[in-house]
Amino acid sequence: MTVQTTTEKTDADWEPRIVAYCCNWCSYAGADLAGTSRIQYPTNARILRVNCTGRLATEFILAALDMGADGVLVSGCHPGDCHYTSGNIKARARWALMETALEQAGVDPRRVRLQWASASEAQIFADGVKTITEQVRKLGPIRREWK
Amino acid sequence: MSDTQEPRIGVFVCHCGHNIAGYVDVEKVAKQAGELPNVVFSADEMFMCSDAGQQLIKDKIKELNLNRVVVASCSPRMHEPTFRRAVEEAGVNRYQFDQVNLREHVSWCHQNEWDKATEKAWDLVRMSVARARKLESFPVKTVRVTPRTLVVGGGIAGLRAAMDIAERGFEVVLVEKDSELGGHVRKHTHIFPTDRSGADILKPLLKDVKNHERITVMLNSKVTEFDGYIGNFIVTVKNEKTGIGEKLDIGTVIVTTGFEPFKPTGYYSYGETPDIITLAELQEIPRTEGLFRPSDGKPVKRLVFIGCVGSREPGKLGHEHCSRYCCSATAKAAGDLATRVDEVMILYQDVRTYGKGHEELHRLARKNHVIYSKFPRDSKPKVDTTSGKIQVSWHDVLADVDLEIDTDLLVLSSAMVPPEDMAETAKMFSLTRSPDGFFNPEHIKLAPLTTHTAGVMIAGTAQAAKNASEAVIDASGAAAKAVSLMAAGEVEIESTVSHVIPDLCSSCHTCVTACPYGAISMDSEHDPPIAFVQEAKCKGCGTCAAACPSGAIVMYHSTDEQIMTMVEAFLCYSPVADGGESA
Repeated sequence: MTVQTTTEKTDADWEPRIVAYCCNWCSYAGADLAGTSRIQYPTNARILRVNCTGRLATEFILAALDMGADGVLVSGCHPGDCHYTSGNIKARARWALMETALEQAGVDPRRVRLQWASASEAQIFADGVKTITEQVRKLGPIRREWK
Repeated sequence: MSDTQEPRIGVFVCHCGHNIAGYVDVEKVAKQAGELPNVVFSADEMFMCSDAGQQLIKDKIKELNLNRVVVASCSPRMHEPTFRRAVEEAGVNRYQFDQVNLREHVSWCHQNEWDKATEKAWDLVRMSVARARKLESFPVKTVRVTPRTLVVGGGIAGLRAAMDIAERGFEVVLVEKDSELGGHVRKHTHIFPTDRSGADILKPLLKDVKNHERITVMLNSKVTEFDGYIGNFIVTVKNEKTGIGEKLDIGTVIVTTGFEPFKPTGYYSYGETPDIITLAELQEIPRTEGLFRPSDGKPVKRLVFIGCVGSREPGKLGHEHCSRYCCSATAKAAGDLATRVDEVMILYQDVRTYGKGHEELHRLARKNHVIYSKFPRDSKPKVDTTSGKIQVSWHDVLADVDLEIDTDLLVLSSAMVPPEDMAETAKMFSLTRSPDGFFNPEHIKLAPLTTHTAGVMIAGTAQAAKNASEAVIDASGAAAKAVSLMAAGEVEIESTVSHVIPDLCSSCHTCVTACPYGAISMDSEHDPPIAFVQEAKCKGCGTCAAACPSGAIVMYHSTDEQIMTMVEAFLCYSPVADGGESA
């Protein structure tokens, strides 16, 4: 992909808008613990609670980008630790296909991030939000770019 | 279950004292929320979870005929049950309540960004209101609980659990794969902190279990099929000897499948001579006046123990945990044997005699002149058997010297690891396992005995490495859990399950394979057969809904529409279209 700098579009006020899908049992609770632990991280992500990352159809991620999200974070339980046995494994399987679809749609795959953060891994969750926010900030506001 | 009434939403924004209001402009958020379509009431309040806060919700529901409630406060993992109860008491269905997490997810993690935190709070409230508009009501469902418990594994934990339940008046089926009850404890000739043998300790319990009219013991047997849902399991138990299988109706299950003593092949020359044994093997040697070498029957003069064998190894999967029984068991064995041999030595990494009465065992060993020598974590002792003798060399941390000794018998205090068929058991009961290989409880602190499979409890060393007393504590706890379900006679199940729209199903079976619980099957009454969800087995993960290529599966309370409307409310908000003047 041509890394054509999109920063020219960036005005001073622009802040990345991140949709963060979190599973209820691990990452949502991890985000809770980040708050309880007063870990400070960027304000850019809006957390949406789903029961399991297995609930996330690829369309949910693509539609968010289509509606103007600059980035999407998906955060679930570690493989083997899923509250529903294996939903996160299914999410991971879909992810690989989705990244290809993203590229074909002209969206930089660095705009999406899949991470595992357990209920006790507040720092990992917070760091994940920071990583995707910074990554997206460098890429600039969302727009389609084809090779 | 469509709700035809126009949504009338009440939004309640909580200050949580200074916790939220100190970092977020709650008044502004509440004011803006009041201008959103369908929001007929919006206010900010000091503590929503207080009696006054809950009363305000109830009053406003009645006064303004609200049919949806949004509370923007703390994490729903904390107070969702509180607010669900409150709205229900005022006549609003619990599934038409939605909570916004302004504390854990906003104010506490953005403490120095008033404007941005307020903007985030406003976005989240708007998203929740959008979701609330789409929320449907569901009836609260209950199912009957069959008053019979299946206990899997007849070790000390299984026996205790079976007895506790039977004594409270419920039937128990106790399944044991071995030909005898009693597990590992039965084999031990002495079991700390007592001076008695395991068999001796178990005798009264075994007698009671065998004679109890409400306990059915099935030996040489394994569970081969497990179907159904909380209160209504259908279990097939097969006798491995006769090959005969039996189908049982079961209400609750306690898994007490225990551990296996780690055979430390590859550690400290284990297996090279019969005179290097594990602590479990030592404890199976019949008690006599002296202690004799397994190889030639000569009396043992010098005895050396090595601790943490196969335990506490960072980075080695399945061996990272502390096995918790070994420090105390080693101290007790060494202390006892010190009076029967000339010299006893314990090489240890750390000493953790944490249990009730265990430190006394450590003291007893020291009093009986057992020599403790600490070796470094990153440089374990070396054992050499090439000369025909057992030579142990190590670095003593406290004296900072290299030491070497010959020993007649070397005992390795090896780890507790999950039994070989652990993966099979996990799959059978849909249980998950932690990195140590043992079963995960539902919640490590709040629900250590229940699992994510409703109606299935775990106890004893199936849950983690622990000693026999702790296993028995678990067993009584798990028994109480089972009894409380059966005594109530019925149990509430979540209505948030998935549902197949028959007309859209293309009979592709994708959902059948996607479901981790086997809750979806094909209804052959239809032609072609279509998928249907057995609601009591569905846990509501929504994996099927995401997998369905035909969009035929609705995940109740987490529908595609309910999720997408939140995304839209966040990203595509325009004050004119979504509120403001038009409201």
